[in-house]
Amino acid sequence: MDDLQFRRHAYGDPNNQADDFLAHLAENEDDAKFVKDLQAFDHKLTQALNISVPDGLADKLILRQQLSQHQKSKKQTRYLMAMAASVAFIVGVSFSLLRFTPVNLGENSLAHVHHETKALVMEQDIGFNDVNFKLASLEGLSDSKFIQQPGRVFYTSYCDFQGVKSLHLVMADENGNKVTLFIVPVESRIVLEEAFADNQYKGQSFQTADAYMVLVGEPASDLEFVKKEVENTFI
Amino acid sequence: MFDSLRKKKSEPAVLSEMLTKQRRYDSLVRALHTDIFRYAFWLCGDKHVAEDITQETFLRAWRSLDSLNDEKAAKAWLITILRRENARRFERKQFDYSDVEQDLLEDVLSTSHEEDTEQYWLRRQIGKLDIEYREPLLLQLIGGFSGEEIATMLELNRNTVMTRLFRARNQLKDALEAPEVRGQSNG
Repeated sequence: MDDLQFRRHAYGDPNNQADDFLAHLAENEDDAKFVKDLQAFDHKLTQALNISVPDGLADKLILRQQLSQHQKSKKQTRYLMAMAASVAFIVGVSFSLLRFTPVNLGENSLAHVHHETKALVMEQDIGFNDVNFKLASLEGLSDSKFIQQPGRVFYTSYCDFQGVKSLHLVMADENGNKVTLFIVPVESRIVLEEAFADNQYKGQSFQTADAYMVLVGEPASDLEFVKKEVENTFI
Repeated sequence: MFDSLRKKKSEPAVLSEMLTKQRRYDSLVRALHTDIFRYAFWLCGDKHVAEDITQETFLRAWRSLDSLNDEKAAKAWLITILRRENARRFERKQFDYSDVEQDLLEDVLSTSHEEDTEQYWLRRQIGKLDIEYREPLLLQLIGGFSGEEIATMLELNRNTVMTRLFRARNQLKDALEAPEVRGQSNG
């Protein structure tokens, strides 16, 4: 190892542990002393570089990280909330879209009759004024009313034709057979079926000025009679 | 709706993973924040800036902690992040470098004792070293890296690194041994 190389090594890294460097030191006392000085100098340098670290820096670093972590999770929560909101929105939209699908009056009426079996066993006697009172709260039918009693009314209640609030009445034909009458406000998405039936009931519907009238009764009942009755008493 | 179901099942796993990560981060901070802060300080020459850079460095480290596989490489990894952070600082704002150096020296002086004049003097000289000489020296003395490792980190070849280390020590020694410069600076 020549002198230049030695100096390069010594200055580059005084703590060099390479074999040829150590061997050179073993052979040359002066160089060994020179390297010792350099090592002492390095020690001083290291001392000089060791500036004091601000108090609690480590804690600050951890705190900062946890704050940022906290914010990240808050953002995540916000994201989840947004997702939930969009889902709710979609559900709402599709629900209202569903409400705008056409309503088949006949099918719905039959379904109502099958569903509300208690309506056909009720034996009340309701005056036409009570019926008018209920009619008045139907949208679009506030001006319609019965001008006299349309035979006996056994039962009355509100019902819902896929979002359209309607009136459900149980009346009787001339032979006393119970006939269900639905009074449904005129609505564009309702599809009128003049006559319909299933294996238990038959039905027919007709339109007055403001309302659809749907009659459902057993096959033996005389729907025409009730229809006339209603036409004569309902304006 | 389904989220909450799924969450319930995987929550313990996620939680323990988070805890492990947190523990890794905590030990990383405790073990290395001193070196990182000192390195940052000698890189930028200002304690407040150094603290900022250290904060940014560790925050970035936290975000990509998963990419650190070899714990032994942690220090080199952090220093790489730190150097990038420091470079970014210059992209944002161009400092008047010599002014910053002066500030640093006042700062260091105020924290050192009377009898540490030689150390103060050395610090001043280190601060005055060109960054290209200073940085390899910092990596060697603070980081404890070999010439080979410094070469990789600074993307230089090893001979260049050794030359710069040689010059750094040489300049510092010269400065210390030149009395007229010393007198001037003390006055």
